[in-house]
Amino acid sequence: MSGVLRRLSAGGIVGLAILVFWVAMALFGSVVAPHEAGAIVDMEVFLPVSAQFPFGTDYLGRDMFSRVLHGTRYTVGVALIAALIASGSGLLLGMCAAVWGGWVDGIISRTLDTLISIPSKMFALVVVAAFGSSVPVLILMAGVIYTPGAYRIARSLAVTVNAQDFVTVARARGEGTLYLVREEILPNILGPVLADFGLRFVYIVLLLAGMSFLGLGVQPPNADWGSLVRENMAGLHEGAPAVLMPAFAIASLTIGVNLAIDVLSGGRRSGEAG
Amino acid sequence: MANTKNDPIAALDTADTARVMDAIRRGATRRELMAMLGAGGMAAAAAGGVLGTAKEAAAQAPRRGGRIRVSGTSTSTADTLDPAKQSLSTDYARCNMFYNGLTTLDGSLTPQPALAESWDNEAAKVWTFRLRSGVTFHDGKPLTSEDVVFSLARHKDPATASRARSLAMQMSEIVATGPREVRITLEAPNADLPVVLGTFHFHIIRAGTTDFTTAIGTGPFLCREFQPGVRSISVRNPNYWQNGKPYLDEVEFIGIPDEQARVNALLSGDVQLIGGVDPRSVRRIQQTQGYSVFETKSGYYTNLIMRLDQAPGNNPDFVLAMKYMFDRAQMRTAILRNYGVIGNDQPIDPSNRFFFPGLAQRPFDLDRARFHFQRSGVGSTTLPVVCSPAAPNSVDMAQVLQQTGSRIGMNLEVRRVPSDGYWSNHWFKHPIGFGAINPRPSADILLTLFFKSDAAWNESAWRNPQFDQKLVAARTETDEAKRRQHYADMQVMIHNESGIGIPVFQSLLDGHSSRLKGLGAIPVGNLMGFDFAQHVWLDS
Amino acid sequence: MLKLVAARIGLGIVSLLLVSLAIFAITSLLPGDAAEELLGQAATRETVEGLRARLGLDLPGHLRYLNWLGGLLTGDFGRSLANNVPVAQLIGSRLPNSLMLAAATAAVSVPLALAIGITAAMWRGSTYDRAVSMLTLSVVSVPEFLVATAAVIVFAVHLRWLSALSAATDITSVGQFFRVFALPVFSLCCVIVAQMVRMTRAAIIDQLRAPYVEMAVLKGVGPFRVVLRHALPNAIGPIANAVALSLSYLLGGVIIIETIFNYPGIAKLMVDGVSTRDLPVVQACAMVFCAAYLALVTTADVVAILSNPRLRHR
Repeated sequence: MSGVLRRLSAGGIVGLAILVFWVAMALFGSVVAPHEAGAIVDMEVFLPVSAQFPFGTDYLGRDMFSRVLHGTRYTVGVALIAALIASGSGLLLGMCAAVWGGWVDGIISRTLDTLISIPSKMFALVVVAAFGSSVPVLILMAGVIYTPGAYRIARSLAVTVNAQDFVTVARARGEGTLYLVREEILPNILGPVLADFGLRFVYIVLLLAGMSFLGLGVQPPNADWGSLVRENMAGLHEGAPAVLMPAFAIASLTIGVNLAIDVLSGGRRSGEAG
Repeated sequence: MANTKNDPIAALDTADTARVMDAIRRGATRRELMAMLGAGGMAAAAAGGVLGTAKEAAAQAPRRGGRIRVSGTSTSTADTLDPAKQSLSTDYARCNMFYNGLTTLDGSLTPQPALAESWDNEAAKVWTFRLRSGVTFHDGKPLTSEDVVFSLARHKDPATASRARSLAMQMSEIVATGPREVRITLEAPNADLPVVLGTFHFHIIRAGTTDFTTAIGTGPFLCREFQPGVRSISVRNPNYWQNGKPYLDEVEFIGIPDEQARVNALLSGDVQLIGGVDPRSVRRIQQTQGYSVFETKSGYYTNLIMRLDQAPGNNPDFVLAMKYMFDRAQMRTAILRNYGVIGNDQPIDPSNRFFFPGLAQRPFDLDRARFHFQRSGVGSTTLPVVCSPAAPNSVDMAQVLQQTGSRIGMNLEVRRVPSDGYWSNHWFKHPIGFGAINPRPSADILLTLFFKSDAAWNESAWRNPQFDQKLVAARTETDEAKRRQHYADMQVMIHNESGIGIPVFQSLLDGHSSRLKGLGAIPVGNLMGFDFAQHVWLDS
Repeated sequence: MLKLVAARIGLGIVSLLLVSLAIFAITSLLPGDAAEELLGQAATRETVEGLRARLGLDLPGHLRYLNWLGGLLTGDFGRSLANNVPVAQLIGSRLPNSLMLAAATAAVSVPLALAIGITAAMWRGSTYDRAVSMLTLSVVSVPEFLVATAAVIVFAVHLRWLSALSAATDITSVGQFFRVFALPVFSLCCVIVAQMVRMTRAAIIDQLRAPYVEMAVLKGVGPFRVVLRHALPNAIGPIANAVALSLSYLLGGVIIIETIFNYPGIAKLMVDGVSTRDLPVVQACAMVFCAAYLALVTTADVVAILSNPRLRHR
């Protein structure tokens, strides 16, 4: 761990700082926010940035700054957990498929291929109909929707590594599957898998905008950032901060997460090589 | 913003008008025109004034030719050219291009002759319609009473899956009494039958038609191309029965569901007319050179539904508390940007001739709301309010209500559900929810569909036998004053007792290129009551 | 290799069957059926039952599925419940549009992404690499509807260079093709380039650290040669998979773009089908997506095997 810290680049510090900031806002944002998420504070809609309203007002005349802060919890919380679920299960299944191959590979691959072919809107509607529209359901659903993609990447990486000499040697040595996965395959595919995780996270943030539009998950007056962008689209032509600020928030979070990932995977790599 | 300006040439009598207008169009000089008017006995000064307005009117006179592309608010593979199945604005706009009804509704929603040139009735129960002569279908076949009987009777067959079946069921007998005469006998008297037959579903098609992949009607345009969910292309019907119309050569109709995309398509010049402009986009369109917004004040409303047969709506105090809690002015400003009229918890809007102005406006009164809410004993229980993008603005209204509710200790919880399946699965199926009601052409149709005790869409399950009697009495009454009194009484009943809250009536907004002229307001819907195609023209 | 492809095709058919069964089951779980959705607000018991009988929805579920499957075996995809048009005809009119948009986007995005990814890996840690990383991340984190709408406002509304709509039927010249396709292709590239760039870069960097590459570097092989001859072949598997995944998005996932640009593609067809519970249409679309997805991932796997000698001999 000290190795990681020592090797922290400027980018890494920025990334971690952004991430820590948003996680803090996810926990305490609703306390810090000057207004309630639903409070209509001004009759003027799409107001520009001002001292009173740092992010302007939204399409109903609500304080955007407060709405973004209130929305942090849903965006950061839901997307991080869902991305962990997707990438975690994708990685696990991908390695199993690569190491065992044969019919295990066949079953997992075919099942997930089926899953990916079901349109996500349809999937979401069925889930809402069957399990209601709470936030945990939303997290699980987003996780499931993005598992097949994560699986594809993890499997293709693991298959390549699995065919390399050092794995063949280890196998010939009589090492068990668990050892192969943990000691040989996982360390060698973690870099790209983490890079994929960073993207999967963004995809889920963006998916939320569509899902809450369908009535799943976050209920008004609260809204995740993607939904904030979406509901204020009428202000885009005049460059209203109501539409730009949540978009910036998403971009900053994305960059923060990915910089932090680069630090983590880079640190692990060089530490191991040394 | 409706074109209510006085007719600029009304000062001249019709014969003079025709002469002068004709002369202007021929390119007569001012001197010639003055001479003409002088010969008509008009003082020179007055003649000069008249001439100015007449010239302006000539510039306003419809010009023939041109092609426009129009976007409605929806498009899907369920788009249809079957009049009985029309369900969305896209269908209405298309069918109005290809078909005619027996009657058509004008700007005051009064039935005017269309395919029927005249009609009369016996005690509003037996109606005889005489058809216009010389009308042909697009394939050349002349219109006969047989076509009319077929077109009307098919709505009663469940297999047709007509959306107007409930209205059609009142016609117990439809017979041809001559090649151009049809007799309709009703179950019970209805003075508004010509209004009913002026609604889109009762468009006249060729007898025996079963294939609706194209449209063979009598309408102003021929169907050249129709791809459900993509577009339709209509070309001028050279044999249209209405002289001089339509003006346009060709109309392409598409649907762009996303409002922002629709407005962008208008402002980029890709389309010339769009229906369904969000009030928040009005300023943007008006500020752009060469584009205008057309407002139609209508009876369109999104309403709060409190089921009177379920808790908490079964408590009259709770219902009253909710009605007093409507911050109508804020909803009108924040949600509609003032493109609407404050409502009074009854469905007849001020533009309707049966609107009762004597009914006092229910104020936004938190004290009274608190009083009734406390008396209801509902307390701090969480009350879900079901809303959906399917009912326009309902999600925002629910949020405003929730905010106001928190000020009197009412714990409302906004529950947004998908548009998908809203009307079949959620609409008035929850104790508190929202509906959205399109303008209807007559007070009778509206009240019968949504407020009669046994109505299929009696949203709040409000039952009042006295109301039902009044409704029938008003329908059969031919004395205007008595009829008006019946409708006034019914409005008071709904205002006081029903579980429906109507905060605002929303204006219908269309955006168009300023070159497009001739738009008027027919308050049954956007796009001139969806009948723009035969009325508008392109200025050069 | 042929054996592998043949086996994949066989398994693909099994997958397609699974998909059709899953879609069928899911649709029957959805509240409401085609009759109710078509009638919408006007649904009454009588009209719904009348329409159900006419559409054949009054049969039990398994019979309807078997009927549909039987039709499929004879090459009949059935008719749309919404408008009675043969499904094959609906798909036939939309699929070419979707393929054209997908092909145009792929032609732009794949070479672009590979070039950026490979160069970023070559000069990893440099300012260029960091700039590329920031840029791709920023671009991918902007919601698609925002990118597309902003592009329309700038290029179609203000500058009037390009069209705000993309009606695929009216194209007669190359200039017009560009005018119509530029904005949707641009918006889609913003969405899919990031994944390909990042996977390419990560996979190559991973290979550059492998012992055999380090050996090559020690032997004095130049950086271009190291990347192109040594690292790239071993990284092609994951890259091909990332490309396949990104491209699979171009058929089913482009609903926002199709909606904003009013482009008559197959994603819109499917979404319409879902909202009207038009089962035959949804089934057919889902199978088209599934088939396309399988074709893409199988190609990716084949490319991976061909490019990697170790996998070839397994």
